[in-house]
Amino acid sequence: MSGAVQTGLAASARVRRAPRDPLIAVLVGLCLAAAIGLVLGRPAPYLVNAVGQLAAFAILAVSLDLIWGYLGILSLGHGLFFAIGGYVCAMHLLAHGTVVTGTLPDFVQFMSWKGLPAYWAGLEHAPYALLLALGLAGLVAFLFGLVAFRSRVNGVYFSIISQALVYVAMLLMYRNDTGLGGNNGMTGFPLLFGWPMGSAGAVTGLAVAALLALAAVLAGTRLLVGSALGRRMLACRDDETRLRTLGYATTRLKLQVWCLSAMIAALAGILYVPQVGIINPRVLAPDLSIEIAVWVAIGGMGRLGGAVIGAVLVNALKFWLSAAMPEAWPFLLSGLVLLVVLVLPNGLLDLAGLRLRPTWARGAR
Amino acid sequence: MNRVRAVLAALAMLALPALPAAAAPLERAALAADLCGDAAAQARGAEGVVRAAADASAEDLRAAGHLLAALAERRLACGSAGALLLDRAGAPDGQDALTGATRPAAEARAPVLGLRQRALVETARAAVALLTAESVAARAAGLTTLERRAGAVPDAVLERARDAESDPGLRASIAGAAQAAALSSADPEKRRTAVAAVAAAPSGASLARLRALRGEPAAASDPAFARALDAGIASVERAVRIGDGLAILYNALSFASILFMAAVGLAIIFGLMGVINLAQGEFIMLGAYATWGVQEAFRHVAPGLLDLYLIAAIPVAFGATALVGIAVEALVLRHLYRRPLMSLLATWAVSLFLVNLVRVAVGTQNLQFAMPPYVSGGVPLYADFVVTWNRLFAILFAAATLALTLVVLRRTPLGLDIRAVTQNRDMAACLGLPTRRIDRLAFGLGSGLAGLAGVALCPIYSVNPGMGSGFVIDAFMVVVLGGVGSLAGTLVAALGIGGANVLIEPLSGAVAAKVIVLVGIILFLQRRPEGLFAARRRR
Repeated sequence: MSGAVQTGLAASARVRRAPRDPLIAVLVGLCLAAAIGLVLGRPAPYLVNAVGQLAAFAILAVSLDLIWGYLGILSLGHGLFFAIGGYVCAMHLLAHGTVVTGTLPDFVQFMSWKGLPAYWAGLEHAPYALLLALGLAGLVAFLFGLVAFRSRVNGVYFSIISQALVYVAMLLMYRNDTGLGGNNGMTGFPLLFGWPMGSAGAVTGLAVAALLALAAVLAGTRLLVGSALGRRMLACRDDETRLRTLGYATTRLKLQVWCLSAMIAALAGILYVPQVGIINPRVLAPDLSIEIAVWVAIGGMGRLGGAVIGAVLVNALKFWLSAAMPEAWPFLLSGLVLLVVLVLPNGLLDLAGLRLRPTWARGAR
Repeated sequence: MNRVRAVLAALAMLALPALPAAAAPLERAALAADLCGDAAAQARGAEGVVRAAADASAEDLRAAGHLLAALAERRLACGSAGALLLDRAGAPDGQDALTGATRPAAEARAPVLGLRQRALVETARAAVALLTAESVAARAAGLTTLERRAGAVPDAVLERARDAESDPGLRASIAGAAQAAALSSADPEKRRTAVAAVAAAPSGASLARLRALRGEPAAASDPAFARALDAGIASVERAVRIGDGLAILYNALSFASILFMAAVGLAIIFGLMGVINLAQGEFIMLGAYATWGVQEAFRHVAPGLLDLYLIAAIPVAFGATALVGIAVEALVLRHLYRRPLMSLLATWAVSLFLVNLVRVAVGTQNLQFAMPPYVSGGVPLYADFVVTWNRLFAILFAAATLALTLVVLRRTPLGLDIRAVTQNRDMAACLGLPTRRIDRLAFGLGSGLAGLAGVALCPIYSVNPGMGSGFVIDAFMVVVLGGVGSLAGTLVAALGIGGANVLIEPLSGAVAAKVIVLVGIILFLQRRPEGLFAARRRR
């Protein structure tokens, strides 16, 4: 490891021969195949919806793995960025619906306001809403990351402070006067780009969009971690002090990746909310943010493919078990976590014998 | 004959307001006739009883009370031969109101009580109950009703009740009510003394009472009274403000005590091992459930000693949670010291497991605790400031925990070992200390302290499986702010965060308080990343 970062020249020389990671290619191929399958095969809508949600969760897991597995920063507050994307998306859907149908959303009537709050202006335009969601997530991440990384808050300190952040955000969103639906959240989205929300076309379109986004995120993050920046990320994870001593601006490096990760999480939120048709402050519960880390840990941290596998497996199991035997789910989840943490430090990828881990990705904490 | 008497009585009643209140006699026949009459007559009768209550004999009052009760409960039957008291509504016969002879109630009708008249009848019954009822509780209930209608009761009634009262507590309450009634008395001198007396015992209620007087015509017409009133209001306002300030400080102190107890175990574990125990809140919950278990055991084995269960639970809760902590350390955390982030997830899994285990084993409902006398009630100290025993229990408990922890860390071999490993693990190991065993014992100590917090919480919070979930974040903020591995820092930070939360809360709400405290801590860490009291450690 130390050899790779002795000089910037050596590091960039080796980047050009970035090792292959066949798992990513397989997963991207699977995503594209599933997208085509959904369009051509027309399976039952609930199945399509489930696939779409799983894809959104997988994107979220990849965003966390990017900073945890490759930079050693465990965020227990990633639900915040997911929720920012989700809330802005819900605001767009409601604002768009208000413009088209002329009826105000339920929560606005509930608070007996005359119209939507002023800061909702312009949200009926999808490109602006998309920009706002990503920009807001990036901005919040930037501010928080700046104060945290500058004062060298890291390790478990950072984890708990990020958890406190999401906890406070949850308390804030539970208030009814924020203009964001309070504890009931926002629901009853009428339209999606002019289609009625629950129609087969809308459901399939959303699922396909989520699958394509997952494929794009996987490919993009794979390029990133294979680049010179990716090398610096790993170096920073393994020994930040040494990297800083060598003259690299580690704070800026961490800040860049942290903001990128937040924006990917926001993208997952954008794709998730129209599929479930509701967003409320429970998304911001600290437990949910820890669960994201659990998906990554179970799938195998430090491998982008592992994050996807973990998110899909855990959530598929959760979908099935919450219906079949809801009491058993928490026990199974805690058992799974302990098993992975104690016996399979690299997650289920260890179990499957998929020891395709490139040598340079070893040593993750 | 009867009708003539009724008319005469009615005329007499009409003439009453002209007479001085104290001179009103209580004529049973007239009262019976009034209560059998129309709405105006009923009102007159009820008001007459109240006015006469100060002087009438106890027998007359009791008789009036029976009549009023019968009317209110629809047991009064009125016929041409006079009023009848029935045993129950619609009974075939009853006793004559005047003679007590039993007569059939065949052609009698039961008068209906209107809403306004019912209020007057209730007032009259309350006055009778206050003066003649056998039980203290019935007299106290009468007083409560009378206090709500202070304007309708002559001072003399309350004064008589006060002089006749045998129960000291109730006597003081009656004196208070008499004082309040004197505020609206017709005699200006009496009113001024009443203002002074009310101002001498300040509270939010007395302030409201005095403020209400300022709007009345008496205050405008009598400048001397208005001056006395303003002076009284000013002094009560000052006292209430001081009392409220004391109450806020007291709340802040009790909240800080809870925070400290939740954080101290976390601080020891984190300082020693760099592990954050996300299950700390669940250890608090286990401590509370252990307390409940001790209570149930006492209830079955030694019901006579039930009041002592809270004391007996202290070692049990400490031992039980310490054992669970040691088990968690031995089974899980031991393997994770090189991977602190994974230990976060592992302890989260433990907390998830414990919550659901308790949920399945005991149930999700709030546990019921029998409150021993030393944690229920309180003593009013100044104005509205009441020292409640349950919060005082928590404060003293936290102080005792602090002392105990200090003794363990400073005066025992284990404490010495813990401090050595906290300061420099490698060097301590080189000197031959069994660091792993010390870790395990320290983890048990930290968990046991969380269990103690659970005992202290039982009289204050509702105890259910999810009660621990909010604690870890607050407790960790205390540890971060105080500086890792510093007991003094943990104490100061708990006082600071507890105080900030309680002080900000009334101004801008609980959520804003949490937001401000978190932002404050993050900004504080910009200046002093090591916390308030950084422990000296060599790496």
